[in-house]
Amino acid sequence: MLLGVAAAIALAFIYVPLIVVLVNSFNVSKVFSWPPRGFTLTWWDKAIVNTGVRSAVFTSVKAGLGATAIAMLLGSMFSVAVVRYRWFGRDSLSLIVILPIALPGIVTGIALNSAFRTVLVPLGISFGLFTVVLGHATFCIVVVFNNVAARLRRTGRTLQEASMDLGATTWQTFRFVTFPAVRSALVAGALLSFALSFDEIVVTSFTAGPSIQTLPQWIFNNLFRPNQAPIVNAVAAALVVLFIVPVYLAQRLSDGSTGGRI
Amino acid sequence: MTSSSTTPKGAPAARRLSAFLYRHERLRLAGLLTPPVLWLVVLYLGSLGVMLVSSLWSVNDFTGALVKKTSFANYHTLFSQSVYRTVALRTVGIAIAVTVIDLVLALPLAFFISKIVRSRRWRYALLIMVTMPLWASYLVKGYAWRIMFDKGGVIDWMAAPIGLHGPGLGLTATVVALAYLWLPYMVLPVYAGLERLPESLLEASADLGASSVRTLRSVVLPLLIPSVVAGSIFTFSLTLGDYIMVKIVGGTTQMFANIVYDNVGVAGNLPFAAAAAVFPIVVVVAYLAAVRRTGALENL
Repeated sequence: MLLGVAAAIALAFIYVPLIVVLVNSFNVSKVFSWPPRGFTLTWWDKAIVNTGVRSAVFTSVKAGLGATAIAMLLGSMFSVAVVRYRWFGRDSLSLIVILPIALPGIVTGIALNSAFRTVLVPLGISFGLFTVVLGHATFCIVVVFNNVAARLRRTGRTLQEASMDLGATTWQTFRFVTFPAVRSALVAGALLSFALSFDEIVVTSFTAGPSIQTLPQWIFNNLFRPNQAPIVNAVAAALVVLFIVPVYLAQRLSDGSTGGRI
Repeated sequence: MTSSSTTPKGAPAARRLSAFLYRHERLRLAGLLTPPVLWLVVLYLGSLGVMLVSSLWSVNDFTGALVKKTSFANYHTLFSQSVYRTVALRTVGIAIAVTVIDLVLALPLAFFISKIVRSRRWRYALLIMVTMPLWASYLVKGYAWRIMFDKGGVIDWMAAPIGLHGPGLGLTATVVALAYLWLPYMVLPVYAGLERLPESLLEASADLGASSVRTLRSVVLPLLIPSVVAGSIFTFSLTLGDYIMVKIVGGTTQMFANIVYDNVGVAGNLPFAAAAAVFPIVVVVAYLAAVRRTGALENL
């Protein structure tokens, strides 16, 4: 059926480049050549021991964890406020929370860069992991917010009120009623936010400063160096494989709701 | 319910605090709202404001220091010098091409998943297959397309038997790579729109004697316009702001966001970069305002 063929072509378009990266990471020749004349694991080996790669991965993990923690806190607070209460400016603020992810990254990047330069540097806080976390958290908030808000809308407040009627304190209600209901949405939001932060390059390049380097920055800096190319390829192939698991988990946890990136 | 305290005396502090909070809804709300609002409004909107204000400043030619005298000189340069106009037009053209390509690829795919695939499990699996690459690293995808388009790369290898060779790195590669990146953003809203299409409308159209093509043309496509536009918002705005992909696969091509980036880094002219950054913002906001009427914004 014609439609099936068209769909298959589209799917092939989506997956062929990723498969090419995977296959090429085993390519024997150091200078790029296709199709691969032979296969080897040396590049994977070299990538694992490469100190630049390791410190970049470590930095990215730290930044991701920090940003996700902040995003989880602020995102869930904001989603409770938006879903359970009515207040002046609720709709406009719900739009503003989307801006960091909707506006081009470069806009967010230079905005944060100039803000940090004018405010933080005079205070003695230089560009580094802290500023990266600040930048990442800003666009991760909306990811957590969307997931938790969707779940809160679905669960409704009757259970909460029933719990209070039966004598539970606010804290007990939260611990035994609200939290278990939103827990999986929170985890899904956290996974997605970590993935987003881990992969981010644009805002990071404006907020990182010269002293640290996240993994995407490492990849970008080494992308054009011919000697490093096979190692970059191995790292890229590893990322292709590594991203699939958390994202699959996140999709399962959020009950397969097919929202977009935000 | 009277507002007299019903918490027994001697109740633990936590219970008294929670009872207090329960009655004082505004306080609860304020507690929940303050940190996120502070973050968003002060940090984010504040920095956007600072950036916009700095676009009116300039940089001392000799020392590179910021000159905080308000003037529209930056914007004047952007409008008058032809190189910026060329790049701006080229970027908009690329954005349109990317949107069209994504539409052509996404419509059959979404249709197939929504209307042809009967089993729920397969539909779910296909949707996951479409969205998973969304989360594969941006740079990895850029690198993948660099391998594909590079001299001696996959495309050259595929074209060799016919005696042709690929276009190499450049404008074509940029358009293809960008279309590749944003394809899932087009598939998802279109799919959601198709799912919302009531079967009864299609049946009624058939009952009234329309062929499937006519149904497609007169019933389905008009109803899909909001979803298509929603998808195009993504492809358009993401393309306008992109400067990295063109560096990876574009060779010497320049897109508008490169102007912004170059002026922040090497040239050190932040006010000019800020002024240039206003262009994508204005285009995206204008586009959003223009499409609000089609109802696309509810489909995001």
